[in-house]
Amino acid sequence: MELLNLSIRELNKLFITKKTKPSELYSEIFNRSASSEAALHAHLSLFEETNLDKAKKSDERFSKSENVGLLDGIPLAIKDNINIKDEKTTCSSKMLSNFVSPYNATVISKLDTEQTIYTGKTNLDEFAMGSSTENSAFGLTRNPWNTDYVPGGSSGGSAASVASRSSIAALGSDTGGSIRQPASFCGLVGFKPTYGSVSRYGLVAFASSLDQIGPISKSVDDARIVYSAISGHDSLDSTSINDEQIELPFEKNATIGIVKELMEDGISEESKKEVEKVIDILKQKGYNIKEVSLPLIKLSISIYYLIAPAECSANLARFDGVRYGLRVDGKTSYEMMEKTRAEGFGDEVKRRILLGTYALSAGYYDEYYGKALRARKKMVDEFSTIFKECDYLISPTTPTEAFKAGEKTNNPLEMYMSDLCTIPANLAGLPAISIPTGLSSNNLPLGVQIMSKPLTDNSLLDFSEMLEKELEFNSTPEGWSK
Amino acid sequence: MNLKPTIGIETHIELNTNTKMFCRCRVVDTEEPNVNLCPTCLGLPGALPVPNEKAIRYITLLALATGCSITKKGMFHRKNYFYPDLPKNYQISQFDLPVGENGNLEIVIDNEKDYVEIERVHMEEDTGKSSHEGSGRIDSATSTSLDFNRSGIPLVEIVTKPVIKSSKEAVAYIEELRQLAIELEISEGKLEKGNLRFDANISVAPSESNELGTKVEIKNMNSLRSLERAIDFEIKRQSSALENGDIIIQETRHWDESKETTTSMRSKEGSADYRYFSDPDIPNMVLPDEFINQVKESLPSLPHENRNKLMETGLGLSDSNVLSKSEKWIFELYFEVFNNTKDSKASFNWITGELQGQMRKLEIKSLPNWFSANLLSDVIKLIDENKISFTSGKVILEELIQMDTTPDEIAKRLDLYQENDEVAISKIVNEIIDNNQDIVERIKNGEDKLVGFMVGQIIKSSGGSINPGMAKEILSKELNL
Repeated sequence: MELLNLSIRELNKLFITKKTKPSELYSEIFNRSASSEAALHAHLSLFEETNLDKAKKSDERFSKSENVGLLDGIPLAIKDNINIKDEKTTCSSKMLSNFVSPYNATVISKLDTEQTIYTGKTNLDEFAMGSSTENSAFGLTRNPWNTDYVPGGSSGGSAASVASRSSIAALGSDTGGSIRQPASFCGLVGFKPTYGSVSRYGLVAFASSLDQIGPISKSVDDARIVYSAISGHDSLDSTSINDEQIELPFEKNATIGIVKELMEDGISEESKKEVEKVIDILKQKGYNIKEVSLPLIKLSISIYYLIAPAECSANLARFDGVRYGLRVDGKTSYEMMEKTRAEGFGDEVKRRILLGTYALSAGYYDEYYGKALRARKKMVDEFSTIFKECDYLISPTTPTEAFKAGEKTNNPLEMYMSDLCTIPANLAGLPAISIPTGLSSNNLPLGVQIMSKPLTDNSLLDFSEMLEKELEFNSTPEGWSK
Repeated sequence: MNLKPTIGIETHIELNTNTKMFCRCRVVDTEEPNVNLCPTCLGLPGALPVPNEKAIRYITLLALATGCSITKKGMFHRKNYFYPDLPKNYQISQFDLPVGENGNLEIVIDNEKDYVEIERVHMEEDTGKSSHEGSGRIDSATSTSLDFNRSGIPLVEIVTKPVIKSSKEAVAYIEELRQLAIELEISEGKLEKGNLRFDANISVAPSESNELGTKVEIKNMNSLRSLERAIDFEIKRQSSALENGDIIIQETRHWDESKETTTSMRSKEGSADYRYFSDPDIPNMVLPDEFINQVKESLPSLPHENRNKLMETGLGLSDSNVLSKSEKWIFELYFEVFNNTKDSKASFNWITGELQGQMRKLEIKSLPNWFSANLLSDVIKLIDENKISFTSGKVILEELIQMDTTPDEIAKRLDLYQENDEVAISKIVNEIIDNNQDIVERIKNGEDKLVGFMVGQIIKSSGGSINPGMAKEILSKELNL
């Protein structure tokens, strides 16, 4: 059982030294995910049959020393808004409950060449819209640390899967914090890479200018390994970038900024304390630390809730019952489309489509969407200025620890506030990571977020790994450690 | 009440790129539905668009050829509307930053040059194709079949300003635009295949008014003939409505080919809200000067330039216009024949009249490989030099198309050379005069029309080998006319 707590590098070593085999690891993972399902509902599907074959082929490669890399035979869970050929991609929506993808997302093609095994598809808020995984048409996911609590969202299934040791690591997608917030709620590492560094081809779009795929894992090193495998330029994604990574100063030469606006009202004392803990560690190590101000950060939620719904209102227009997915019959084509959309989408998705449609309407565009675009541009400029004097920015990942299931479902605005700290990185396209730092008085995990300028993903991971070692957080929730 | 119509035309030209606008699906001409598809052009979840560089080049070519100013910083927008054959329920198009703006196109109408101002030239992707059963319209169809082969094929849309004044001018404009697309090699220009599709915005207002009337958009015109008739019908409909004191409502009307009328499709109270916004899947496009210059340099000779070149050979505007819109080989053949013969009128007439007439009769689309401009030039020269008659020229041409030979060989074989020896002709003329003294008397008494009869007799007695002009000339001399 201890196998499930190991890192990717450790597991790879065991495979190479023949102390264990990928098929043995997979059997344990499968047993775990099957047993965690009743308590957590992290997964929407589990691929047992095909995976046993894949794991056995991996065994053979290791026995012949033909293994291809660190991810060979490693079971990863995939968020159910990322297409795997011939498997369902439901996006936790009734709309796509029967949709089987005829093609692979680019990240899946890349992991295929690494011979990765996919344990299954994980639960999410419908079309990745939400912060608790309660907006799933197929039932909510629970937090492995305490099943009364939400795992966060929208990649809550991926986080619960990794935290419950039902997969070694997982892919999530992050539009406003959907990787970092659930990672923080579940005591894990969650990494949202620089916008454009991981291809979005095959990721079902929520808000195209903000979406980014990234890993959720037990350690920074695991996140790095998965990120290395899935990143890189993709000719199928016009927004994919092809630029070299920029190296940031390391150790004492680096300057750390503490974002003033994310240490004020709306942030719990416990969350602030975690940041202070990190500041103390960095001070002791001799880093230069200063408080910085980015006034526009206070507007991020307003900006985000115009831009993301506007893009989603168009991105989700294709779900009409004409070519695939749910179809509800009507007397005319239009009636069919209307009924399909009325029945296929959940409330939160409808709320955002309506909001976005309104923000783009003639006569309102300039006042809402246009203004949000201009504010976003200014915010990007603010970050550029700050990054001239700071290498890394530190803040809480979330304003509070995980909240209880049902606690915020009737108050969308309060739910939206839980993404206050994470949204700015999406608006500015920055790489951002959440690492676990400690537990709250309720014995729930807390984390801090570190952001850096675009294209410094590798430096950010190195810096976070240094911090991770100092923090010595035991990331195993009770009940799932063995 | 004196009324004047004003027309604006929106034309979509399907570009003949190898692949689609935003995916690498090949564009294939097939009747089999739904065979050229991929996740992108079918709008599957997670699929993304990647612009086709060649299509951008083609559209830049057309924008430059219509004298538009080029927007260097271009942008793709999403045009949002629901329709079953639009896979994403938004069309990737261009909104406030089209590739080209403010151009104009020279056209020829009633043997005069005119200019149609172009408002914009922009790119967009085509939709799929709907076939409605039980009714021609989506709202009343019992079922609708969809073919997405066309989905994502690159289109260029050319929008004129409201400056066209008649159906005739509209037709001349489309003919010119079609020819331009063909010269630029960006489209086959086949109307029957839907390579060019057009909608017309028509309004009618009092002649003295400076303002335009309420515009009505006409759709579903698929030939030049239907364009002309639909415009004429609509002008008449609107004019009589205004004369009766009725109000024209802003709407879209459908041209019914069989009934030759327009019927209301939907009214547009205000304009439809397409909620345009910049497509976040495609980074803003910047056309570098280098690219624009390169495209500029690759511009071929344009139809209006071809017309000018033709007029320089001595042809009139109307004939030049006809030739400028002919197939390339006809246009080239004209210049070769003209260079040989220096006879523009004869070169034009022989090519557009006799040669094409013979080809139609023989049902051939292209000339045999042995046929050259020199052969046709020789025929024209023989006629110009009075060595053969015009009729003989036709006989020779007919053989030249079917047999690898020369005009000289045919003329000799069929004995078509005319007698041009004055002494020999005089001998025959005198013989005919002697045998027709009564006619000669009547001619001398003023019956001029009988000269023709005499000439006929002369040619007949020579077996057709005498040049009629010379026969008439010698006859007149002998009779002292």
